[in-house]
Amino acid sequence: MKPITSSRKLLRALILSLVFINIATAAGSPEQVEKDIGNNLYCMCGCVTALNHCPHENCPVKSEMHKIIRTDLAQGKAEPAILQDLVARYGLKVLASPPTQGFNLTAWILPGVGLIIGLFAAITIVRRWRRPALAPATPTAPMDDKVRAAVEEEMKKFGG
Amino acid sequence: MNQVGSVGLIAALAFAIYGVVAGAVAGKLRSPRMLKSAQRAVLGFFVMITVAVASLEYLILTNDFHSAYVASHSSIALPLMYKIPVLWAGQEGSLLFWTWLLSIYAGIAVWMNRRKNRQLMPYVISICMGVGTFFSLITFWVANPFTQLSLVSASGTTPFTPADGNGLNPSLQFHSMVIHPPMLYLGYVGMAIPFAFAMSALMTRQLGDNWIRVTRRWTMVPWMFLGTGILLGGQWAYHVLGWGGYWAWDPVENASLLPWLAGTAFLHSVMIQEKRGMLKVWNMVLIILTFFLSIFGTFLTRSGIISSVHAFAKSDIGPWFSVFLAIIAAFSLTVLFLRLDFLKSDNRLDSIVSRESGFLFNNWILLAAVLAVLWGTIFPVISKAVENQTVTVGPPFFNRVMIPIGLLLLFLTGAGPLLAWRKTSFQSIKRNFTIPLIFAGVVGGYLFWAGIHRLYTWMSLFLCAFVIASILGEFYKGARTRMKISKENFFSAVYNLTMRNTRRYGGYIVHLGIVLLFVGFAGQAFRFETQKLMGPGDLLQAKDYLIRCEGLTSGQHANYTYETAILSVTRDGRALGEMRPQKRVYMASQEALSHIALRTNLARDLYVVLAGQDPDSGKVLIHVIINPLVQWVWIGGLVVLLGTILALFPSRVERQMDEIRKTQEEALEAHHVL
Repeated sequence: MKPITSSRKLLRALILSLVFINIATAAGSPEQVEKDIGNNLYCMCGCVTALNHCPHENCPVKSEMHKIIRTDLAQGKAEPAILQDLVARYGLKVLASPPTQGFNLTAWILPGVGLIIGLFAAITIVRRWRRPALAPATPTAPMDDKVRAAVEEEMKKFGG
Repeated sequence: MNQVGSVGLIAALAFAIYGVVAGAVAGKLRSPRMLKSAQRAVLGFFVMITVAVASLEYLILTNDFHSAYVASHSSIALPLMYKIPVLWAGQEGSLLFWTWLLSIYAGIAVWMNRRKNRQLMPYVISICMGVGTFFSLITFWVANPFTQLSLVSASGTTPFTPADGNGLNPSLQFHSMVIHPPMLYLGYVGMAIPFAFAMSALMTRQLGDNWIRVTRRWTMVPWMFLGTGILLGGQWAYHVLGWGGYWAWDPVENASLLPWLAGTAFLHSVMIQEKRGMLKVWNMVLIILTFFLSIFGTFLTRSGIISSVHAFAKSDIGPWFSVFLAIIAAFSLTVLFLRLDFLKSDNRLDSIVSRESGFLFNNWILLAAVLAVLWGTIFPVISKAVENQTVTVGPPFFNRVMIPIGLLLLFLTGAGPLLAWRKTSFQSIKRNFTIPLIFAGVVGGYLFWAGIHRLYTWMSLFLCAFVIASILGEFYKGARTRMKISKENFFSAVYNLTMRNTRRYGGYIVHLGIVLLFVGFAGQAFRFETQKLMGPGDLLQAKDYLIRCEGLTSGQHANYTYETAILSVTRDGRALGEMRPQKRVYMASQEALSHIALRTNLARDLYVVLAGQDPDSGKVLIHVIINPLVQWVWIGGLVVLLGTILALFPSRVERQMDEIRKTQEEALEAHHVL
């Protein structure tokens, strides 16, 4: 048992250290923060792309949205507050992903729930597959009535 | 020509309806005469749709702007190479094109099976022609490409022919766009054939090995086209949209990914049925799902129910497609339900740790991916219906949900081949996993030391190393055995090994391609971008690249006016040459489009866009993106394509088996048994 516990601890430590390193390296300059916020928003000019990727030359909507972000950043607002300001102005559709509240939470939950249900289904199938068969699968095994009827019908046609 | 095209469409519709009936009657009565008649209906359908397609192409090539479709999507100045794709540039033309491809697929299926699968073919024809009936009906009735322009006044309607057309959407005037839609459509449409074989197998109760063998090949072909189409779409986005990416989780992109994922699940689980006689119901469900998602993809692409960067026309074909999708689901699930007794597993699982369970978990992950992508794609519609709220589901959602799923899948890609069929002992796991894990550990340690600390990026590259070691190990083990037995050198052994089992080793090459794709995806974590207003003499530093603006030029082409920035690039003091990003304004539509400049190598792309111009200073906005490892995405896609072609190529043993089956079928036919 001891070696297993040690290896588990080691694995846990490795995963935690990687997570912390990931978080620690995620922070950036104000330009980087503005860019990150831009990646989480859609341009409201109708181009249906992220704010940072709006293909329109001199897009006035894009400029206006960036102006709001810069003003808010200059006022020391954090990302959630900036996003809130933009939602107040343009509506929820400005966010590039649904908020994690109310009905929209289901957008986030369902894929995970599906994954877990699928896992249970796969495990159940594997376990059922492992159950010994009720009758040995030999050529002399009794044939299902429906299959027998179908075979007889086929045989009649071949005979006819 | 408009009239010829319309007549072609009506005649094709009549042939399709007749094909449905004749196929069903041939199947029910087992009548060779009716089967022949149904086969001729397929030929008639193909000929008539070809007449309609040729008519529309003629109208496009001769600039007949009296045709509403030609006036909307073409223009006199449009170059010839972009006039041909006008056929699929709009709603009406693309539906006609879809129908034409179906007629080609159905024709090939009939021709290839003219002496085999005689019991399956009547219903195969019936189902293909059922799909053909739907598409020719909506092409004729709802989205007719042969409508003519006319002016409506108080005194009545008079024919109208504008002097020039609106021209082709500028973003479609790109070389990969000429073949990207046909590839995608070949993928979508082709899924009708395996679906037809599966349904026919259920209806005729011919549920032995035959249908699965036939269906696997007929699934691999459209799966290959779909994958190639997706990749070409990515190339188009990368070169044309000007934001330096190739995948944006746009609904239309997702629509193509869904059947590809479901088809991938089928191509894996079908092996369990072939080897062990298990998962028979599941395989049927997967083939139904793949076809359903193909039609759903076409519906999503063409109905405009969800906002997309792919600015396709919104239209009223939505309800028609909804009904058709409901019919497909109801019909296929009913037939499946009625035949459940014939789809019982032949075997039981010997061990939880086995190749079979590996495939099952692979299917679990792939289906989870389908669910996640589907849910994210349709969620805006659901949210609108439930909450009356418009929300957007874009890249941040999909990246968060799909990256862990992708990594799990990548792990299984490497682990699956290391598990034995039936039962894998602990000793075997230890033996097979040790070297790949050690190799991955060494690579992972090096990457961490080299500064790659982002969790997903590191994990992705660690798993890539694991999968590469696992696949190369399989080639090595197989070759070593051959070298011992046949006294061949290593390279001959690898070649002969591959050609003896093209399916298995082709599959491994596909997996290798997938690994290369993941390497390319991982590079996105290190993307760098910057931009600056530049005039002649201005400098821009982008990491170790120094870009100097040498000048600006402008001019006129037959189809567009342009403005070009002439940039000289140096890296670490070494001159790399000139780059010329361009901004084009297309005359017919007055739409502007960036034409990027690209310097590429295996390590990174230097991607430069002329993003705009300051009207006051006259300077141009130069946007520079350094995109690491993008080339590996295209190389990976190519490797996937080559691996699929290899897997499609029948091995020597398969060719011999095919000969035996053909002889048996011919003997049966000689006895007039259908």
